[in-house]
Amino acid sequence: MSQQPDITLYTTQTPNGIKVSITLEELSIPYKVQKLDISKNTQKEPWFLEINPNGRIPAITDTFTDGKTIRLFESGSIMQYLVATYDKDHKISFEPGTREFYEMNNWLFFQNAGVGPMQGQANHFTRYAPEHIEYGVNRYQNETRRLYGVIDKHLKDSKSEYLVGNKCTIADIAHWGWVASAGWAGVDIDEFPELKAWEDRMAARPGVEKGRHVPDPHKIKELLKDKAKMEQQAAEARKWVQAGMKDDAKKSQK
Amino acid sequence: MTKPIKVHLCPAGPNPWKVVLLLEELGVPYEINSFPFQEVKSKPYTDINPNGRVPAIEDRNTGITLWETGAIILYLIEQYDITHKLSYPDIKQRHLTNQYLFFQVSGQGPYFGQAGWFNVLHSEKVQSAIDRYNSELKRVLGVLDTVLEGKEWLVGDKITYADLSFATWNDRIDSLILCAPEDKFKGFLNVQAWHERMISRPSWATCMDKRAQLMDEQGLLPNGMPKGVSNMEEYEAKMKADAEASK
Ligand SMILES: N[C@@H](CCC(=O)N[C@@H](CS)C(=O)NCC(=O)O)C(=O)O
Ligand SMILES: N[C@@H](CCC(=O)N[C@@H](CS)C(=O)NCC(=O)O)C(=O)O
Repeated sequence: MSQQPDITLYTTQTPNGIKVSITLEELSIPYKVQKLDISKNTQKEPWFLEINPNGRIPAITDTFTDGKTIRLFESGSIMQYLVATYDKDHKISFEPGTREFYEMNNWLFFQNAGVGPMQGQANHFTRYAPEHIEYGVNRYQNETRRLYGVIDKHLKDSKSEYLVGNKCTIADIAHWGWVASAGWAGVDIDEFPELKAWEDRMAARPGVEKGRHVPDPHKIKELLKDKAKMEQQAAEARKWVQAGMKDDAKKSQK
Repeated sequence: MTKPIKVHLCPAGPNPWKVVLLLEELGVPYEINSFPFQEVKSKPYTDINPNGRVPAIEDRNTGITLWETGAIILYLIEQYDITHKLSYPDIKQRHLTNQYLFFQVSGQGPYFGQAGWFNVLHSEKVQSAIDRYNSELKRVLGVLDTVLEGKEWLVGDKITYADLSFATWNDRIDSLILCAPEDKFKGFLNVQAWHERMISRPSWATCMDKRAQLMDEQGLLPNGMPKGVSNMEEYEAKMKADAEASK
């Protein structure tokens, strides 16, 4: 029996958040959006911790085939859930058990375990850290560049338009928001011509265009062209990122 | 008959042992290709894993090559856990299990790794970075401790591949943040009990024995340091000297 979607997406305008809205748009699934304000630490409020004990966005709820609610966090597992449940025609995924299916998962994990965490640390040391630590900036920008180089070479060698099997899948969608904001981490996308062409190819997809503006307009490209505004935005983000860090540090001293 | 699965690894780090532990638990035959860490970013290994990290597997039964422990684990479970020893046939529980697997590979692994880097491996002490990753390590343990409240396992009432995926990093917390071994789960009693349930399984002892043997072959001590180096200061000095020499 096919399941009727009853999805609420808990999200914020971030690279991890738009992975899920883009997936939903690509599949033309209806969904409700509940916006969380990370600058006010809403993601650490008890009602949300019931949905995601890890206190991060994105998360979703849906009504499962058993009639009960399913709550899921971790963008990667949410994307896997959405295609397993609603992508029976394999529009943005591959048939389970096939080689392409396993390779898609391989690149999905590469994003979630590699590109995401490392580029996230580059963002931290480049934009949010309480003090400037040149070593930290270099360490994570270099690692992000190395990971981008792996994708760039893969796209070149495989002569494929997308990461696996010449079809846009959740592995591509997982990367897109991060690659689109490379400049925020201090990484120059022009160093990676294949990846840059892929980024544009992805951006031209109607599902990507629609999904990227959830819950607020996706403005990173414009922002990256405006140095003064970038600095202003980083300064604002620094305030709440550092407040969140202090909070976590306090809690961890138990 | 199942032909052995080839596991490429460097023995020191925790990630390869996630995969070996799973193979042991499933009773799937495997053979290890153990090679020195210095070769991880060069050919021929990068022909197998273009990302130059360990582990990677080659399965001759299906002709599939995979890297990224998360993808490897899901593959092995789907191909070889036919009797659902470490997984659920139920789709809902399956997705919940995957959710924790993703939490391990994106939330525990990378951050514990950074904690180890700034506490131990990086010679210059950058206090604010040490504080950042130590506090993230504790935060992750706190999340697990909450989830495990009143429960033995992360999902349902049996051990799954998600539980097992956390064991190798959790086991070495003391050497990542340089605390006493008995303090590594201080304040996180649910996590401690859960971890002890896992490491009392025969599969764990087998993995640690294999690791010790492969470390020995490469002249590495159980803590990952070369022989002839007896403490962290010496190791740092040696690494520094090596780094200078290679400049
Ligand atoms: N591995 C997680 C990472 C999620 C994540 O880090 N989300 C960020 C926004 S991009 C967040 O919610 N941060 C809030 C906080 O750290 O308190 C995933 O892929 O879902
Ligand atoms: N996300 C990867 C991480 C694997 C990983 O980082 N492995 C380490 C050893 S524990 C490695 O190969 N490091 C090589 C390097 O950093 O150059 C996975 O889960 O497979």
